[in-house]
Amino acid sequence: MSGKKNKNIIWRMLELITYKKTNRPKTFVLPEVDEQRPNQQQVSGQQQPPEGGQPSQGQDQRAAQPEDTSQTSEAQQPKQAPAVVVERAGQKRRIPKKPLSASEVRSARKDKDQVKTDVDSNLQVLKQAFHAPENKDLIIREFSLSNKKRGFLAFLDGMTDKNIINEYILKPLLDQENASNSEYKVGMPLEDIVLTDDTQALKTFGEVINNILKGNTAVYVEGLDYILICETIGYEKRGVEAPKTEIVVKGPQEAFSENLRTNITLLRRIIRNKDLVTEFFELGEKSNTTCAIVYLQGLVNPLILKEVKRRLKNIKTDFVVSIGMLEELIEDNPFSLFPTILSTERPDRTAANILEGRVAIILDGNPIVLIVPITLNALMHSAEDASLKWHNTTALRMVRFCAFAIAILLPGFYLALTTFHHEMIPTELLIAIARAKENVPFPTIIEVLLMELGFELIREAGIRIPGIVGNTLGIIGALILGEAAVTANIVSPVLIIIVALTGLSNFALPNYSLAFGIRILRFAFIFAGAILGFFGLALAAVLLTLMLVNLKSFGIPFMSIIAPRTKRGKDIVIRWPLWLQENRPDYLSPRDRQRQPEIARQWTQQNPENS
Amino acid sequence: MVEMIKEGKIGMLEAYALVTVIIITKVFYTFPLASIKQTGTAAWYSTLISCACAIAFFVLVYLLLKRFPQKDLYQVFEAVLGQKIGRFLVLVFSVYFLYYAGINLSEFVNILKIYCMPLTPQEVLVAGFLIVTAAMAYVGLEGISRVAYILFYLIIAGLVLILLLAIPFYDFHYLKPWFGYGLGVTVKEGILRTSSYDTVIILAIIANSLQGLKNLKRVGLACLLTAGAVFSICLACVLAAFQYTAGGEYISGMNHLSRIIYYSRFFQRVEAIFVFVWVFASVIAVSATFYIALSSYCRVFNITNHRPLLMPFLFLTFAFSSLPKNMAEIIDIYVRFIRGYSLFLIVLAPVLVLLIAMLMGKRGGKASETQ
Repeated sequence: MSGKKNKNIIWRMLELITYKKTNRPKTFVLPEVDEQRPNQQQVSGQQQPPEGGQPSQGQDQRAAQPEDTSQTSEAQQPKQAPAVVVERAGQKRRIPKKPLSASEVRSARKDKDQVKTDVDSNLQVLKQAFHAPENKDLIIREFSLSNKKRGFLAFLDGMTDKNIINEYILKPLLDQENASNSEYKVGMPLEDIVLTDDTQALKTFGEVINNILKGNTAVYVEGLDYILICETIGYEKRGVEAPKTEIVVKGPQEAFSENLRTNITLLRRIIRNKDLVTEFFELGEKSNTTCAIVYLQGLVNPLILKEVKRRLKNIKTDFVVSIGMLEELIEDNPFSLFPTILSTERPDRTAANILEGRVAIILDGNPIVLIVPITLNALMHSAEDASLKWHNTTALRMVRFCAFAIAILLPGFYLALTTFHHEMIPTELLIAIARAKENVPFPTIIEVLLMELGFELIREAGIRIPGIVGNTLGIIGALILGEAAVTANIVSPVLIIIVALTGLSNFALPNYSLAFGIRILRFAFIFAGAILGFFGLALAAVLLTLMLVNLKSFGIPFMSIIAPRTKRGKDIVIRWPLWLQENRPDYLSPRDRQRQPEIARQWTQQNPENS
Repeated sequence: MVEMIKEGKIGMLEAYALVTVIIITKVFYTFPLASIKQTGTAAWYSTLISCACAIAFFVLVYLLLKRFPQKDLYQVFEAVLGQKIGRFLVLVFSVYFLYYAGINLSEFVNILKIYCMPLTPQEVLVAGFLIVTAAMAYVGLEGISRVAYILFYLIIAGLVLILLLAIPFYDFHYLKPWFGYGLGVTVKEGILRTSSYDTVIILAIIANSLQGLKNLKRVGLACLLTAGAVFSICLACVLAAFQYTAGGEYISGMNHLSRIIYYSRFFQRVEAIFVFVWVFASVIAVSATFYIALSSYCRVFNITNHRPLLMPFLFLTFAFSSLPKNMAEIIDIYVRFIRGYSLFLIVLAPVLVLLIAMLMGKRGGKASETQ
């Protein structure tokens, strides 16, 4: 009996680790994209690219795939050259196709991408590229010129300024008076007819499509071997508004907006210098988001600039739509809790950084600009620092550094103190803490974690709930929760003070990403303090220092100035008066190190007229 | 050619901070106890004799390196003694530094248990410490030296704060009799305790990471002078606070000094806050010597990546730290070897190599030939 029972147990255990075919019904599994294609083709019929037209990317891939997948699975089939399937008398026969050489493939692609000299072919390529007529955004306006030549213009609805199209492109083209004018003849270049300020004659569809996507208009007239791109960008956008997160009392009240051009203009308005250079990059193979880098030629370190360009050029992803995504794709240490790139919404701050030899990265559609490279002290500076008097700024920075230490250490310190090192607490305070804690059933670590969790919940809820309600909820939530928690003897009142002070210190940090990193780090310090007291906190502090000294921002050590030690600047912790800040930051190795002569206030060397 | 780990470049101040911290860390341990026990009231200047000897020794090491430009100490060993003996000597150094790291760790953890965390199991303290040591060694010399440079200021500030806050307890009459147990004993112990400064040899080992021999000499001398001053002042303060009788009994004189600080009922028993200083100094000292042991071992066997060896070396460090059964054993046997007799290995080996090089007329060529 017992033997049978044992056998059953062993058998059951064996069943757990042996393979057994189950008769469960199949569940729905979304097929992979490649698996879907042959079936889709069978359903919709094979679509051939138009004659002379450019097939879409998907079609290219389809053409490269063996089409007969019904007979043998891919796994069973040995790899072979691409083949065409010919159907004769109900029998399918595979005829091996001679593979094209690399140069042949390249030239074939180039031919397909070239603008043709007839209207229909070009129209077809554009329609196919934009999936017209299903895609209603592409507007194609066909016309005939007075010399009977056909033409068309193509643009994306909503991305263009229709007034420009009507008044400065269509009107001159179709104006009968112009046509009858003897000076306007067939051979006249198209650029001379349209009246937009910027035109480009492009011969490849790739470039034409990119320009249409940006909001420009493509104009083509029969017989030409190029398409004329006219600048007609004119979509709806938010205007320049006041900053939302980097508010200052003294100083400009302008912030970046979502429009790339506007943002660059805001910078150009501050730095009116011919050496201010803007370079553009396209990011995201599907989103084609425009990204710009702005720097001051002759000042920025060429190696840093080269590195920025290298990273931006070598991003291979389908879409980059937010500045956070871009930051993650280009930063040196993506696993670091501390940001190694500065984000700002203020043009004046960006300009100041460009003038120190840094590079600004602007992504279209984002009101935040990235600045590289930076060091830790840049994260502790705020937008207001430059507008205040130097001693006020210095005092504020001291407060921020204290806030930095409190935000990381305070809860862990309190835990270590009350758990391991009671002797340090003055007797009266110790008695007060003990009395307050007498009725609390939890160990201090649980109290701290509960309160921290509560605080994080209030903060998160406050952000999610819009407008004034969010703020109210934050205050009311904190008051009620804290009061109720103390009354219910879940936490001691001292802890409420500790958590509130920590939260306030966290908010006092000027950089949002830095504050976020510290919120997470704080929990590590709480555990270190709870497990090993001050010894644990000290070990955690060493690890944090180690992490910081190993961070880099575009090749520049994050703790530059301190470790590795570089020439001390006069705007690190103490902001010395502006007239004493003669040099640019040494760690950036700018090509022009000197910001101003030794005596910037040269009037002090002169005798006033009425002395 | 010896395969080497890429150790990067470290600045003069970083090297200075690193080596100074390694040397002075022992002032937080049983160093004052041993010094006062051996030389009585003369401990504060006996250490200056040790410092003078260490400077003389360091100058000899500098002369040795000068004969072989562009080479570090280990490469000089090989150039003078041949590959086999040279590498054997490097291996001996590696074992010594590992032993040094292990015993330092053991000494620190025992003191921590005595003064701060009597109920925490020793293994937990050692494990926590070793995790950080592993992280430091994983990053390498550049990272360790940068951490050392940042924490150096905190360590010195902490040390100065303790000495200043304990001023009400000082009575400098306790430094009498000036000659302690006699001048002979003071000088003899002073020379023997040169070993307390022998970790300055690390500068010669990492010579290629420094910026030239001239800087190495400057940094070395600055380290030794700073360490001499720190030891002397700390010993004088401990003597002035506790007299030589009690000073020779307290396991950690500096810890005890921080414990007696009392200004009011509010500001008292603040020794726990100085745990940060002890830990910072100890982590740097143990990590640096651990890393040097590891990199020396890699040199012997032409290993270019030290990271796979971290775990076995951590285990060995743990084993060394577990050797002493109690605090008395640490003081009487293990630490006595490090701070009393290690000079016969660390100091005399390079001096002997210098003598051999001079006798045999060996000199290093240009950088391209030697590297």
